[in-house]
Amino acid sequence: MNILLAAGFVLMNVGIYLFMSMLYKRFRLPVLLPALTATFTVVVLLLGFNISYDTYMIGGEWINRLLGPAVVSLAYPLYKQRHVLWQNLPAILGGTVIGLLVGMFSGMLMAVGLGFSKLYVLSILPKSITTAVAIQISSNLGGDSSLTSVFVMIAGFTGAIGGPYIIKLFRIRSESGIGIGLGTASHALGTAKALEYGEQSVSMSSVAMTVCAIVGSIVGPIVSWIMYH
Amino acid sequence: MKIIRIIAQVAVLYIFFLAGDYLQKLMHLPVPGSIVGLLLLFILLLFKIVPVKLIEDGSLFILAYLPMFFIPATAGIMNHLDIFSGRGLMMIGILVASSVLTMVVTAHATEWITVRRTGSRSRSKITVVREKGSEA
Repeated sequence: MNILLAAGFVLMNVGIYLFMSMLYKRFRLPVLLPALTATFTVVVLLLGFNISYDTYMIGGEWINRLLGPAVVSLAYPLYKQRHVLWQNLPAILGGTVIGLLVGMFSGMLMAVGLGFSKLYVLSILPKSITTAVAIQISSNLGGDSSLTSVFVMIAGFTGAIGGPYIIKLFRIRSESGIGIGLGTASHALGTAKALEYGEQSVSMSSVAMTVCAIVGSIVGPIVSWIMYH
Repeated sequence: MKIIRIIAQVAVLYIFFLAGDYLQKLMHLPVPGSIVGLLLLFILLLFKIVPVKLIEDGSLFILAYLPMFFIPATAGIMNHLDIFSGRGLMMIGILVASSVLTMVVTAHATEWITVRRTGSRSRSKITVVREKGSEA
């Protein structure tokens, strides 16, 4: 019985996602991003039919288990772009480390300042890291992984929608600055936006995104230790 | 059959994840096991110990459908719907402000490092992007 239920939820998940990505391919609007619309649909269905999150996760857990290999598969684009990484190592490492620290501390300090609980503060910490990795960092530190994945999405949208204005307003002039900035602040959604600024900025952005995930999982625990000790 | 190759290659990626997880627990690393697996695979690819063909199709498949794997985790937000109302909305402001700051600091740090390096050893030139519409 549980297996049938689980398989049903898995099929529902896959079906909704495929439909939403078809819709996105057709209209190409940022608000139609499948990660957003599919999650929204799933949540509405669960609430509407009064199904608890725990029941849904009997099946959801099967999909969740693929997040591990999904993170591992990021080694492939990093390997493909290894020349970009070696040639720009100081800029990429320097930019992402400085950016990540500023991002983590500014988010956490603002959340503490406005009186949010420790759960929220720890959940905001990995917001500029790609979801699959951010979820794991967050739950390792005692945050809530679903809050984190929503926060990651908001950070992504900030870069994807606000990126062009930020670039103009703050006079970011080089393709490497744009790429590494978008990749570090807004991960995959930022990298998709970097496409509009040329090949160098996309490759820089995707490399920065992966480097951010690696560096973020190392500095994340240190930052949370500084904040709470 | 491509589909069988993809499934087999995803299984290989899963083995790397398990190996990373094992190493993480064994050495008490603060880094998630999946990241250890990523680094392990990256290093083995660099030294050509693992041929890229062994994981290429599986990786491309997973990366193409990546957002689908987040849905169950993200749907957990249904237990925290209060962040979309009242004080919770301040969180969105914090996220936007902090993300803008992150992007600006990262970009300027990157440009500063690039210019310093270019100045001292005249290596890779900094490419300037023309503002959109300025060429019209």
